[in-house]
Amino acid sequence: MHRSLRITHILAVGALFTCAASAQWFDLKTPNIPRTADGKPNLTAPAPKLPDGKPDLSGVWDADRSYLVNLAKDLKPDAVQMLPWAAAIYKERAAGLHAHEEPDANCLPQGVPKIDAAPVPWKLIQMPSEVVILYEAFTQFRQIHTDGRKLPVDPNPIWLGYSVGHWEGDTLVVESNGFNGKAWLDQSGHPATEKLKVTEKFHRRDFGHMDLEITIDDPGAYMKPWTVKESPTLAADTELLEFVCSENEQDIKHMVTKK
Amino acid sequence: MFARIIFVSALFAASSSAQWFDIKVAGTPRLPDGRPNLSAPVPRDSKGKPILDGVWQMNGKYLQNLAADMKPEDVPYQPWAKQLFDARQNGALGKTDPAARCIPGMPKLDALPYPFKIIQSPGMTMMLFEGFTTFRQIFTDGRELPKDPNPTWFGYSVGKWEGDDWVVNTIGIKESTWMDNAGRPHSDALHLIERFQRHDFGHMDILLTIDDPKAYTKPWTVKEDLRLIPDTELLEYVCVENEKDYGHLVGK
Repeated sequence: MHRSLRITHILAVGALFTCAASAQWFDLKTPNIPRTADGKPNLTAPAPKLPDGKPDLSGVWDADRSYLVNLAKDLKPDAVQMLPWAAAIYKERAAGLHAHEEPDANCLPQGVPKIDAAPVPWKLIQMPSEVVILYEAFTQFRQIHTDGRKLPVDPNPIWLGYSVGHWEGDTLVVESNGFNGKAWLDQSGHPATEKLKVTEKFHRRDFGHMDLEITIDDPGAYMKPWTVKESPTLAADTELLEFVCSENEQDIKHMVTKK
Repeated sequence: MFARIIFVSALFAASSSAQWFDIKVAGTPRLPDGRPNLSAPVPRDSKGKPILDGVWQMNGKYLQNLAADMKPEDVPYQPWAKQLFDARQNGALGKTDPAARCIPGMPKLDALPYPFKIIQSPGMTMMLFEGFTTFRQIFTDGRELPKDPNPTWFGYSVGKWEGDDWVVNTIGIKESTWMDNAGRPHSDALHLIERFQRHDFGHMDILLTIDDPKAYTKPWTVKEDLRLIPDTELLEYVCVENEKDYGHLVGK
């Protein structure tokens, strides 16, 4: 699935160069972007600030796809200590025995944090009482409430969870719970349970670069929390495309299954 | 609709969920007893324009029949469109409705039996739909509609103010979408004009004009009424999860 997603997106991007008519929509100059003398976006300019002094995280961001296959790729093996059942299922998934069961291969939501590393961009819109993330992946969204409400206690489990955010200095700290435990954390199949809590720390280092620190805290699958650092980059002067997963889906029947 | 009713009942039994979906939304005008005052005046921004933000639910009849308020003979079909509409009656060809395969499209998306949330941000207004957990972006930064764009399910939308009306123009919609469950067809020439008119805090109309000269001999307009759903939040809705309907639908 994800390989085809990536190819689809590359084809679409390629099409922009041959199709000036579409280009006028997806190749619009994003306003308020600092530019170098030649008109290119200056991605190392300082991060923008809102009137209240908080960083403005808004923009179209290219996900850090390098974490899609293996969220723990930068970590030493002993940093991710799985409970025995989790280690057993992970071994089988990583060997490709369950590829057809991967939820997003079946057009089900990727879950958090896998959706952050999707092979297509997401757009963050920072509003006074919430942050919305529009994901090109499956044209889905998340709402991160920053109005001071607390995470729900024992909520109805869902794919993308319930999220609240608060600021710690210049970092937006997003805490999420209420996951249904069905999503894989990455393509290699790190599992999760309904006990999963995800903390995402968004820090806009400069105009074009985000530090995204993600902590997986799931005592149902792991012996202790573990943390990874992704680096989304700003996609300037473009816009999200529409992505409808269940349209003409042809991959799943080619995927292998454990007999 | 049914799922939502069940869930709403569940809120009364489960106070732990209720704290999330039964939150007091800031800025809501209230009666002395604390209930939202849905007939309070339209909220306005610093420029005096109506604020459309909120969780809204459309009158369900327009999902079933976009022309519910019209005489059947007043829908100005082109002959082929009438023929196709007739062929889709009584559930025939139900399988060919993309929504049955979990693919939503415009203008049906606005009329789903689940609420949507409007959030006006600078340069772009979002519509977040509980149905299908999907979204529309309506650009208000002054850009023009694209010329001959790649057709999509939701189309390409720009919005502007005309007095107190927020007018959204949309083109580039795939011709395979059904405009309602009754099966009203359209062509690739479909141009939708949605005129959002908020009348008071709790009530809004969308005047929807179908301008599609290939499928209809002249533009036609319906007035869809919406109500604000106060003090709540969208639920997650995943269409393809445990989907059992499609196998029972008929059609080619």
